[in-house]
Amino acid sequence: MPGSRLKAFWRNWFRKPAVEADLDDEVRSYVELAADERIAAGASPSDARRATLADIGGAERLKQQVRDERAGTWPETVAQDLRFGIRQVTQSPGFALTVMATLALSIGIATAVFSVLYAMVIRPLPYRDLPRIVALDTRSASGGSQAASWPEYVDWRRMSRSFTALAGLMQSTVGLEAGSGPVALHEVQATDNFFSVFGVNPLLGRTFAPGEDQAGRNDIVVLSYEVWQQDFGGRKSVVGQAVRLDGNRYTVIGVMPAGFRFPINMLNAVYVPMHLTANQMKNRGNHWLQTIAKLKPGVTPRQAEEDLDAVFTQLGKNDAFNAGRTVHAVDMTTWVVGDTSNALRLLLCAVLTVLVIGCVNVAGLLLSRGVKREREIALRSALGARRGRIVRQLVTEAVVFAAIGAAGGVVMAYGLLRVMRLLLIASLSRGAEVSLNVPVLVAALAAAVTVTIIAALVPALRLSATSPTMALKSGGAAGTSRGQHRLRTGFVVTQVALALALLVVSGLLLQMLQRLRDTQLGFQPDHLLTAEIDLPHGRYAGRDVLADFYQPLLDRVSALPGVRSAGLIQMLPGAGWGWNSEHVHIYGTEPLKSPRTDPAEVRFVSPGYYKVFQDALVEGRLADPRIDKSTTRLVCVVNEAFVKKFIPAGRDPVGMEIGDNDQTDTMPSQPNPRALIVGVVKDLRQTIYRPPFPEMDYMIAQIPAAQTMDAIGDMKLVIRTAGDPESLVPALRQTFGQVDATVPLRDPQTMNTVIADVLTFQRLENWLFGAFAALAVLLAVVGLYGLISQDVELSEREIGIRLALGATRRTILSGIFRRVGWMMGIGVAIGLAVTLAAERLINSVVAVHAEQSAGLVAALALGLALAGLVATALPARRASAVQPMEALREE
Amino acid sequence: MGEKQTNLLQGTLDLLILKALVTGELHGLGVSRRIEQITRGTFIVKPGSLFPALHRMEENGWLTSFWGESENRRRAKYYRLTRAGERQLGTETAEWQKIALAMTHALKTS
Repeated sequence: MPGSRLKAFWRNWFRKPAVEADLDDEVRSYVELAADERIAAGASPSDARRATLADIGGAERLKQQVRDERAGTWPETVAQDLRFGIRQVTQSPGFALTVMATLALSIGIATAVFSVLYAMVIRPLPYRDLPRIVALDTRSASGGSQAASWPEYVDWRRMSRSFTALAGLMQSTVGLEAGSGPVALHEVQATDNFFSVFGVNPLLGRTFAPGEDQAGRNDIVVLSYEVWQQDFGGRKSVVGQAVRLDGNRYTVIGVMPAGFRFPINMLNAVYVPMHLTANQMKNRGNHWLQTIAKLKPGVTPRQAEEDLDAVFTQLGKNDAFNAGRTVHAVDMTTWVVGDTSNALRLLLCAVLTVLVIGCVNVAGLLLSRGVKREREIALRSALGARRGRIVRQLVTEAVVFAAIGAAGGVVMAYGLLRVMRLLLIASLSRGAEVSLNVPVLVAALAAAVTVTIIAALVPALRLSATSPTMALKSGGAAGTSRGQHRLRTGFVVTQVALALALLVVSGLLLQMLQRLRDTQLGFQPDHLLTAEIDLPHGRYAGRDVLADFYQPLLDRVSALPGVRSAGLIQMLPGAGWGWNSEHVHIYGTEPLKSPRTDPAEVRFVSPGYYKVFQDALVEGRLADPRIDKSTTRLVCVVNEAFVKKFIPAGRDPVGMEIGDNDQTDTMPSQPNPRALIVGVVKDLRQTIYRPPFPEMDYMIAQIPAAQTMDAIGDMKLVIRTAGDPESLVPALRQTFGQVDATVPLRDPQTMNTVIADVLTFQRLENWLFGAFAALAVLLAVVGLYGLISQDVELSEREIGIRLALGATRRTILSGIFRRVGWMMGIGVAIGLAVTLAAERLINSVVAVHAEQSAGLVAALALGLALAGLVATALPARRASAVQPMEALREE
Repeated sequence: MGEKQTNLLQGTLDLLILKALVTGELHGLGVSRRIEQITRGTFIVKPGSLFPALHRMEENGWLTSFWGESENRRRAKYYRLTRAGERQLGTETAEWQKIALAMTHALKTS
């Protein structure tokens, strides 16, 4: 049987003329035979023929019925429908474009944003036994985050009982000497048990063996996959090879597989064992070591915390730092996803909202179009089209729309993701790994396409079920059925409500960003250029880096044309904080009650720094290189926040002495370890997010020559320029080359960029929400416009009659606007209710201050309502322009 | 109404056509008259159902067709059962009898 079907298929397709001629003959012969019968029964020849044709319902119809039955006809009818569908698209381009653009935008945005969310929040981290890995957030007695010092770490590791591995690490940067010059890489210095925390095997070679973090055994390096690929060409022979990092000789012992990174945002990293300075080795007060751990099987984070707390208590008996210390064991996922998870969750809601609005809009548009086509469909079915055939045709049309819209959605998703990936890398911890999430794309496509087809199918089924004569007769009254009407009104209200909710959230976010940007930084970020300096250890260890590198550099940079002033600081204002001394005490004031600690930020600066940032001196004097040398009295300049916190009111800070145990370690050769306050400057924000911290600025010139590399090996160069800071970069690069060709110019950025980078996530979030809200409003307006136009079009006759019966155009107009007003009102009310319901979620991201934001919310609601009324204006005008006579004559 | 009947009789129609052709070749009108005759006028098959069915059954390989001359000397397309058609008649008859028996039984018991 399949053989005969196949043969028939072949014949129907490739010998079509013969098959058609045969069918033609057969039908004609049938008509003749049947007519003969009638003639034999006594009818006249013409009557007999007519009666026979009437009996079969027309020769053409009979032939079509046979064709429909033939093998291989469905591809043909589908092709017909497709052609028809595409013709429909080109015939009403406005409608088609709206539907397809709506689909493309909803699918594209939903997929792109969800892909980001998946990559950042949902996808598991690439470590084995993830639930057992914790980051240890240790806090000092005063509650501030405080990392471990090396001696403390050694004690914790020895005394704790809960971990299979308790590891420490420190991140920095390092220069790899490659053939073409120094390559800047990230460096993770870690304890010997670092890799046992993650349980990930190396791709090649081995990881650290126990004890390899001891001096003498620690000049080994494990490469990340990216570094292996980029800088070593992926050669297997790399294991055992010697490389130079910052001028020191290391042996490559292994390569990690692709995807292994810790910290997770650390691209281009090399992992080396700890290299401790003498100070780090023995100073208990120097807190710099970040700790992570793997719990023993069956140990909960809570038990681990109790275990460590017990260790702290025991150590605290003869050690001020550990007394009152607490620890929070943060599971790795939370630690990585961090602060952004709530914002992302809110974003996810927004994404779904946009998808829902999009689908509702498409459904509304298709439904109202189905209503418009009632008569066309009735005509078709009157002309003999079968129900199945009509439904199939409408669905094919919907599929044409859906397919083009879906294709647009895929393109859109890829494009958006590209943009977001660019924006995200800097600000989000897992941004580097974002790729298009195919299952989500498929799901979004499926959702949108299904909605489209259902929306097309509903009127099709309903219409093809009603008798054609009814539909044709009812004429202008078609589509005014109550159910249809209510459904479409519901669609508009839903859209308005959701659009308002999105508008409010994005408005609030924008307000927050504005406030953050307007934060009084305390300095003008224009005309400022910054760069990182990270001196290679191998080359500069033990040397006086100030005399050998920084001073020559500063001299040359200051001499460059376009440079107003240049200086050094180890942490950029506005972009970083947390480098602090824990035990600050002012002589002659109340002594601190141990174990309470009072931290103050510590900065090492060159005098030029003050000129670059134009610090305003409040009293006293700034540090002066001609007076303050490494051999003279240790001085420091403090800020107003410091005075407020540490100096009793009414006393003059200038001339007071600071006891700062942590820093005197760095300055041991000073005859007097007490630092003399010589001046007070206005506050500069250390970070945009917090009010100014107390700060003490020490002069780099006062650091003993032998200690300079430890203290100021990593610095930020800051330059105030006369013109565009960017244009200075090439000259600056050249200057670096002149001073020392092995030191690369790292990361030259304008201060404006630095500040903007700090706010990248906020900006991205804002940008997305803004786009969502704009899209939602647009869709809601389009939906409203479509609905009202539809209404007007369908009730033209009724309007004509009313006008003819004496209604004024004003009553017609006010009727329409009253209806729109109701819909907008209900939509806005529901939208506000939704926003309130989601307030908790919103509040976790952006503080909603009722009194400050009420005006904003009201303005947005009003704006949306106005947009709705404007969308109605056009169809309303058309309604008021109806000519009664014409409207009644039509049909 | 006509459409509904076709749907209802889809399986039955095939069986009737096969049965009508057992006694020899017939043209379309002849098939229709023969069915009227063997069902004692219960089923009058309209051309709108008959011809699609004939063509479908031919494509299935149960029938074969050829052009011939009718009793009143008009050119007409004749249909004849193939071996596959005879086999199909056998299975469909057995199937139908099973159903008919079951239906009769079902309607009797109450």
